[in-house]
Amino acid sequence: MEQAPPDLERQWQPATLEPLGHTDAGLQAAVGEEAEGSRDEVPGDGTEHALGLGVLMTENNFGLKKIEISVSEAEKRTGRNAMNMQETYTAYLIETRSVEHTDGQSVLTDSLWRRYSEFELLRNYLLVYYPHIVVPPLPEKRAEFVWHKLSADNMDPDFVERRRIGLENFLLRVASHPILCRDKIFYLFLTQEGNWKETVNETGFQLKADSRLKALNATFRVKNPDKRFTELKHYSDELQSVISHLLRVRARVADRLYGVYKVHGNYGRVFSEWSAIEKEMGDGLQSAGHHMDVYASSIDDILEDEEHYADQLKEYLFYAEALRAVCRKHELMQYDLEMAAQDLASKKQQCEELATGTVRTFSLKGMTTKLFGQETPEQREARIKVLEEQINEGEQQLKSKNLEGREFVKNAWADIERFKEQKNHDLKEALISYAVMQISMCKKGIQVWTNAKECFSKM
Amino acid sequence: MSGGPPKGLPSTGPHSLLDMPHPLAGSSSEEAVGGDSTPSPDLLMARSFGDKDLILPNGGTPAGTSSPASSSSLLNRLQLDDDIDGETRDLFVTVDDPKKHVCTMETYITYRITTKSTRVEFDLPEYSVRRRYQDFDWLRNKLEESQPTHLIPPLPEKFVVKGVVDRFSEEFVETRRKALDKFLKRITDHPVLSFNEHFNVFLTAKDLNAYKRQGMALLSRVGESVKHVTGGYKLRSRPLEFAAIGDYLDTFALKLGTIDRIAQRIIKEEIEYLVELREYGPVYSTWSALEGELAEPLEGVSACIGNCSTALEELTDDMTEDFLPVLREYILYSDSMKSVLKKRDQVQAEYEAKLEAVALRKEDRPKVPADVEKCQDRMECFNADLKADMERWQSNKRQDFRQLLMGMADRNIQYYEKCLMAWESIIPLLQEKPEAK
Repeated sequence: MEQAPPDLERQWQPATLEPLGHTDAGLQAAVGEEAEGSRDEVPGDGTEHALGLGVLMTENNFGLKKIEISVSEAEKRTGRNAMNMQETYTAYLIETRSVEHTDGQSVLTDSLWRRYSEFELLRNYLLVYYPHIVVPPLPEKRAEFVWHKLSADNMDPDFVERRRIGLENFLLRVASHPILCRDKIFYLFLTQEGNWKETVNETGFQLKADSRLKALNATFRVKNPDKRFTELKHYSDELQSVISHLLRVRARVADRLYGVYKVHGNYGRVFSEWSAIEKEMGDGLQSAGHHMDVYASSIDDILEDEEHYADQLKEYLFYAEALRAVCRKHELMQYDLEMAAQDLASKKQQCEELATGTVRTFSLKGMTTKLFGQETPEQREARIKVLEEQINEGEQQLKSKNLEGREFVKNAWADIERFKEQKNHDLKEALISYAVMQISMCKKGIQVWTNAKECFSKM
Repeated sequence: MSGGPPKGLPSTGPHSLLDMPHPLAGSSSEEAVGGDSTPSPDLLMARSFGDKDLILPNGGTPAGTSSPASSSSLLNRLQLDDDIDGETRDLFVTVDDPKKHVCTMETYITYRITTKSTRVEFDLPEYSVRRRYQDFDWLRNKLEESQPTHLIPPLPEKFVVKGVVDRFSEEFVETRRKALDKFLKRITDHPVLSFNEHFNVFLTAKDLNAYKRQGMALLSRVGESVKHVTGGYKLRSRPLEFAAIGDYLDTFALKLGTIDRIAQRIIKEEIEYLVELREYGPVYSTWSALEGELAEPLEGVSACIGNCSTALEELTDDMTEDFLPVLREYILYSDSMKSVLKKRDQVQAEYEAKLEAVALRKEDRPKVPADVEKCQDRMECFNADLKADMERWQSNKRQDFRQLLMGMADRNIQYYEKCLMAWESIIPLLQEKPEAK
């Protein structure tokens, strides 16, 4: 199948899916224009996200207003699950504030509690309705890449705290995405506490989900995929692999570093004991020992800060997964298209054979005809007619599939470009903040050892 | 400090490195005061410091080490031969230039010993000989025999404890060379030991083995104190200062042992950290190969981590080569101190035994028999010598540990400074905007 050049006039209209955000044509137009790149009203870059701002489409008007979203608290709760068994879970408080343009003040507009599974539901919905978007990932479900001192327990307060930050980050990413921010279900997630789950399920999105997308490793013999997507899928696989490796080794490095610092604490104790039997050397030893204790305990804060860096890497580890999903979607669409084209071609051939009476391809009918005698001309006419109808239908479907495919490629690639820039920006920032952390650690080390040296000199 | 300065003997006490007089300069020495007692018969071979035969540039008496000169600061001075001008040092010894000798029977290392001296005990102003470890061992034994009342500095361990270490590796040989150098310098600094005849021969003889054989032929009458002393002796009362230093040494050795273990543990942890770092850095390189705009920043981070790894390796190497051996040497040093203390106890016990025997005989001779007097003299000499050595040991210990620990701090500072530089230098690279390229 040929690759159509990006067609700027066309707008993507999902034939079978209808995201709730598109309630009328006006909105669709807005979305369509937006997809072309006019981003005046809608902030869609990392800055907005970094500032904790997003945009939201209000229900009543089309005005886009700036909002602040925060996941401000986490609370342990107990309740009964679907099987009426008692369970413990953590609920997160989401607060939304609207920022007035005029005075910059923010007013609390909504506040509700959600648990992790609801976030997952929201994300799954977004994945189905926006398959061409690289959907922001959620923070990990279970603690992984943990170095020994940290707990892998989901109820551990540090884990809950980091998850709280991760969930806030997720909401901000969605809110600052030019397309996703307009979604109604997302809006309701932030504003409608009760019945939200039912509302989502009523969209029937689970039924529309392509189960084949879930089968990550299933291969499809696609003859002519868009090369860019093939490369991108390859890239996302490699990225996942390298970031996983990095996180694993980093956890081990953290472990070892912890050991080095903590063992120095033993100097504190032994210097203190030694100073007791010394006259002139005593004071110097004692105070040097104190510095060794300071050194040993400094590692806890240092490594806690580093967890933030690990979280930033993890986000992009999971983003790689989202990227891969978009590529998969393209593959599937392409596959369906090629199957449909193949089917159409075979029907046309069958039709031709029937019309001309030549049998070039083997068919059961042909065999039986040979064996048991020819069919009547009426029978043949009937069959040709059916085939011609099918061929017509097939050609229509192929046309619309083609259209869908091209639109998908265009829109997906636009979001991928946006994502690439975001990724480059974010990861650079992450590396810079990591370097800054290392610099701070070195400076602390110099300070402590300089202090110790001075104590030693007074021995 | 030690168990208190010896009573009645003026102690110059601790000085800072700056205002410390030259070891051979001052004349207010504890030893000189202790010179009330005549040198014991065993010390006939050695020169006493009361000897005015020596001619020194400033005409001063070659007094003892009144000042707490550290061997290491002396080390520094001795290594800068040219810088010494007008100082009264008259004996300089250096150990260097290790060489491997391969013979049919064995392979061994020799070290060059260079001696420069104006002392009359030396025929030539300069000597250069080659010695191997067993020669040092021989020297030490000879010194212990001939100077039983003095503390002899320790030698590095004879046998390599850990089977993994290569006797001929550069690091091992260098560590050993430094320890041997220190050993000789400590003897050089000692006002009594440095005049020992065996020491002189060690420094000057072309054929040491011939001298050794000669020495073996004569059964040296070093008296009772040569035997290796085991167990304690029943004493009526041990002088306070010796009791105190005995206790001190026990605790001191324990603490040093603990510090040695901690230091080893730290090095072990650092090496394991290094192993992980060496895997960590390259992953950024692998990642860099996948990226476009991020390629340079990621590669920069990889290189940076590589630099930190190298700095860490240097730190662990330094600590292993310089810190641990010196620590262990002090453990040996305090062990030798303890055995000298035991010998002293033995001498005192003999004296007391003799005294008791006389008392039991109930003779009303007012005069104390000559041999008891001799015993008393020996004991008092021993006490005086040992006190002096203890003082010297204490102040040397202080300087040595000050330097050792400051050195440890220094190395850690240097490590962090190297890492700091590496990370600071990549910040601009990371902040670079793609348009700028």
